[in-house]
Amino acid sequence: MTRRTIRLVNRLGLHARAASRLVQVAAGFESAVWLERDGRRVNAKSIMGVLMLAAPVGSELVLECDGPDEEEATRAVEALVDDRFGEAE
Amino acid sequence: MILALSGTGVSDGIALGRLHKLSERELDLPEYHVEGEEIEREVRRLEAASETCEAMLGRMEAGLPEEAKGPAAELLQVHRLMLRDDTLIGESVRRVRTEGINAEWALDRQAASMRAALERSEDAYLALRSEDLDQIVQLLQRELAQTGAGSLAERIPAGLEGTVVAARSLSPADVAVLHQRRVAGVVTEHGGSWSHSAILARAYGIPTVMAVRRALRVLREGEWVILDSHYGAVLATEDDGLHGHYGEKFRQLARRQARNSRALSVPDRTLDGQRFRLFGNAERGPELARCVEQGAAGIGLMRTEFLFTDATLPDEETQYRALREAQAVLDGRPLTVRTLDAGGDKLPEALARFDGPNPALGLRGIRLSLALPELFDLQLRAILRASGHGPVRILLPMLTRLDELERARERISECAEALREEGVAVDPDVQVGGMIETPAAAWATERFAARLDFVSIGTNDLVQYVLAVDRQDERVSHLFDPSCRAVIELIRHVVRGAAVHQRPVQICGEMAGDSRMVPVLVGLGVREFSMPPGRLAEIKAVLIRLDAAEVRRAVEAFLDVPGSDSVDALCDQLIRSRG
Repeated sequence: MTRRTIRLVNRLGLHARAASRLVQVAAGFESAVWLERDGRRVNAKSIMGVLMLAAPVGSELVLECDGPDEEEATRAVEALVDDRFGEAE
Repeated sequence: MILALSGTGVSDGIALGRLHKLSERELDLPEYHVEGEEIEREVRRLEAASETCEAMLGRMEAGLPEEAKGPAAELLQVHRLMLRDDTLIGESVRRVRTEGINAEWALDRQAASMRAALERSEDAYLALRSEDLDQIVQLLQRELAQTGAGSLAERIPAGLEGTVVAARSLSPADVAVLHQRRVAGVVTEHGGSWSHSAILARAYGIPTVMAVRRALRVLREGEWVILDSHYGAVLATEDDGLHGHYGEKFRQLARRQARNSRALSVPDRTLDGQRFRLFGNAERGPELARCVEQGAAGIGLMRTEFLFTDATLPDEETQYRALREAQAVLDGRPLTVRTLDAGGDKLPEALARFDGPNPALGLRGIRLSLALPELFDLQLRAILRASGHGPVRILLPMLTRLDELERARERISECAEALREEGVAVDPDVQVGGMIETPAAAWATERFAARLDFVSIGTNDLVQYVLAVDRQDERVSHLFDPSCRAVIELIRHVVRGAAVHQRPVQICGEMAGDSRMVPVLVGLGVREFSMPPGRLAEIKAVLIRLDAAEVRRAVEAFLDVPGSDSVDALCDQLIRSRG
């Protein structure tokens, strides 16, 4: 299992479009992917779950991956967040 | 005889056709316990329903017209993800198994618990999602209610081509089916410009009027109706004259729309390749959404007076929430917020005691804000907090003296500092712009520009103050002439002053949306225009056909020759040269 703290650096935080990208990336892995913020833990493969985190820009999330491809999943989600979800700045 | 009904036009256009009413049947949700083999049968029903609905939305997404893909496609993608969602579908399946209840009941219970979680949050984004959730659940319930029967197809029969369809309310999926059926127009009793079905209606270009009360009771099946969504009007009449008038209007509109919508997909450049930027003037959801749909690069003017119309003044949280809602719609595009521009003819009730003998020259705009620093700070804090979530620019109204700008900037930095100490994220580079709408500010633009990030010319007030004409006064309103030479020369002075410090100049008054004046403004060097959403497509159509260098020469040549009081002849000349 991997646990990593990630920080949302895109301008908008986890809005609907960013959330839908994140869910699509997470869903590509066999491992379970979890996100945690302020004590709330959700399945990162569920759009309703991710949206319910209501994470604004600058917030810190704990990313937890557990499964056979947990390393790859962690890297993929981190890359998406670092890439600001592909938003034009 | 004419029967006229009114509502909110949410998707512009005119439709003429026979009325068809969609039958409304309330869904009856069956609730019963299941056991043994029945459990897995319910699970399969639920999963099959979600697959069918997802496939249907996928087909709709693929079928969206190319130029309308953006917001409508994203909306459908989010809905498709919801239909695969583990929290919604997966948990409902678990409820079937652990609680031993049928698919409809399980879905209903799961949706209720998610709705409760969503409604606890006050974030504006989430308020929208609750609507999304409801629509998805309704779609699934309808599919479950008549598995295999093609629920939508049954509600919306074939043979509707060219009719005006009336319904109590419509989901986005309904609208997509109506589009396939090639209906001429849509009338609903519920809904508004901001509902998702309205977004889809606009994407498909179906003329639509919503919020028409009692439409189903008043309108008769099969009668001739005329729908004019620009005026939010539905007319039921057999009058030949009216039909002839609308028939002609319909053909004209079709030609103009074809021209304007072609303009929307072209880059924002003039004929000779100069870049320009178009922004919208808007403050609430529906207009903001229209700005985005009409290709605005952002909001150039969000007025805030609408927040101050009640007897009590809005608190920081109320103001902050209004800004967040706007950001949710803008999705990353810049939002220019003008601080309270009360005074003049628009003093809110709660501030009525600041009224004076001559409001236009009294305590208004930045003067009022600086006189009431606590009120000003609340507004600045709300704006700065929003800046942590998306690009925000502050616009200060009615500047006349540089020290007003300095004092306002001081308040902005103190509020930002205080917020940072409270641990609130604030954009460190929030841009501050000034309205150039008094002769004093226009004359001193160069000095103001040195301390501003951008300038915005409010042409309505500028014209009033330069010409000393109150346009509300009928006896002199004919003298209110934006094409007056003095005004145009002053705008030239403003553009040059801002250019010394390389500051962008935006026009945000009515002149920006005036297709006669825009070529002149381009000739003066203006490249940014902010206007109501309804003007965006037409102004863009004007700009992309303009040769900026040629227009510049024509404007300079015209202004070199003293003589006329007005640049009216220049406007005509520029329009003719465009052909």
